[in-house]
Amino acid sequence: MSDHYDAIVIGAGPAGLTASSRLAEMGLKVLTLDEQIRPGGQIYRNVDNASPTNLEKMGEEYRKGLTLTERFRKSGAIYLNNSSVWNVEPQGRVCYSRDGVSERITANYIIIATGAMERPVPIPGWTLPGVMGAGAVNGLAKEAELSPAGKVVLAGSGPLLLLEASLLLEKGIEVEAILETTPQIPTPAILSDVPKALLGTGFLFKGLKMLRDIKKTGVPHYKGIKKLRAIGNETLETVEAECGSEKISFQADMLLLHFGVIPETHIYRMLKCHMQWHEKYRYWQPVTDSWGRTNYEKIFASGDGTGVGGALAAEIKGELSALEVAHCLGIIPTYERDSLAASHRESLLKDSYPRPLIDAFFAFNPANFTFDDDTVLCRCENVTVGDIRTIISQGVTELNEVKAITRCGMGPCQGRMCGPVLGEIVAAELDARVPEAGLLTIRPPLKQIPLGELAAMDIVADGVDPANLFKNQSK
Amino acid sequence: MFNQESTVTAKFEIVLDGETIAVPGDMSVAAALLAIGKITTRTSPTAKEPRSPHCLMGICFECLMEIDGVQRQACMTEVHEGMVINRGIKEGEGGK
Repeated sequence: MSDHYDAIVIGAGPAGLTASSRLAEMGLKVLTLDEQIRPGGQIYRNVDNASPTNLEKMGEEYRKGLTLTERFRKSGAIYLNNSSVWNVEPQGRVCYSRDGVSERITANYIIIATGAMERPVPIPGWTLPGVMGAGAVNGLAKEAELSPAGKVVLAGSGPLLLLEASLLLEKGIEVEAILETTPQIPTPAILSDVPKALLGTGFLFKGLKMLRDIKKTGVPHYKGIKKLRAIGNETLETVEAECGSEKISFQADMLLLHFGVIPETHIYRMLKCHMQWHEKYRYWQPVTDSWGRTNYEKIFASGDGTGVGGALAAEIKGELSALEVAHCLGIIPTYERDSLAASHRESLLKDSYPRPLIDAFFAFNPANFTFDDDTVLCRCENVTVGDIRTIISQGVTELNEVKAITRCGMGPCQGRMCGPVLGEIVAAELDARVPEAGLLTIRPPLKQIPLGELAAMDIVADGVDPANLFKNQSK
Repeated sequence: MFNQESTVTAKFEIVLDGETIAVPGDMSVAAALLAIGKITTRTSPTAKEPRSPHCLMGICFECLMEIDGVQRQACMTEVHEGMVINRGIKEGEGGK
């Protein structure tokens, strides 16, 4: 296989698929690296391998993914599934591992479209078998037609939590309760987002219908819950919470958690892309221009990883990044880029209208959580919230120092699960804003690879040896 | 903990913790194990407690297990005939 491409696209969700398709359709040599088994990302997981019954069951929104995967298959982009990208360099080099072999390849441009993830929020007992992400269970339905058996409790906040609840109820799953951390009465601050939302009412009507359907089933549905905890010996047995002065408790075989969606930023942070903290949504995102270009000329960020906007927005962002890359490669002149982009920009704007209201409505509020001292924060290294507070009380003031001393964020997940809330906890303890507490440093390899695989790499092109791949490890 | 509604008939024989066992195919190792009721993916090396997959999309690493001799994320690896999987679940540390 040739090792230089016009563009390498990382990720095959809506943004990655459209970006790859657009560039390949223009005759460019495009490689799409995807960590998953099949294209589609999480939203369209397994879509072009789904059984007709599953396509029917997962609904019209899911079937839209077929258009993207069909276009992608026809486009001529080279697709490599099961490929874990573990290093990206600003000059346009990528290292990835596939089938036990690591390769180092280059491209004129790299479009990173690695999407978003469910916001991990530690609660007591969240490490018990049976406690899973609501999105994880949604993915299992798409990938393997698996549905939860036994008693299920859903807890957290956000439209996807309610969507998953209604999907499970429709299937006749025994949903014991829906426990929302969303306040019973929204704050008046959301009123400012209402007028804009009225420009895009389709989404809102769909949400209201979903709520009505849930209500009809009579499943206990609490809002404004606090002190959520999962209890069990070897697996989950009970879910407890408080609602006002009322203590509520449900027997459960599964607890599905969902606290909204945040960009997956590890790859940008490893590259040392400029990052910005979004105070309202409480997440980090890479700084980009309107085409998705980061502070590096050759590195583009596209899709939900640049700020969560959903599948359609991601698809459009993919088109826009591709148009600019094609323009930079001299395939299309400026006027053509701009005229092709105009209708995409319009669709992106229209799609964004209802989002601020929805985001404000379901906003993550760390104050709703007590983060008890004995709660495990870092699942990999078994570091508790109390361990973090102790270190801070001894004078530590920065996330990476906390990491070095406690090992929080140093396990195989590299802070993917503990990092977001670690930032909140450290900031709260310091009485500071999250950016003042810092952001965990990410280094290659992004995902672990056997040392033998690294040693077997054939790196001769410009005299860089494997040892130098990790040269920026001083801090 | 899960029911499989699938019409998919592909079945593979794999070796799980030294025992030959049939699992559905055309899905990830994690999904295939969940489909046959194997909820526990590993014993946490630090907490020594059983864990199950949490995210199923490559983020949480709770489904790390030895697959064909290499530590891999079971949710990102497609199951195939004859696969040898060791979850490293020790006696007395739970696990189903």
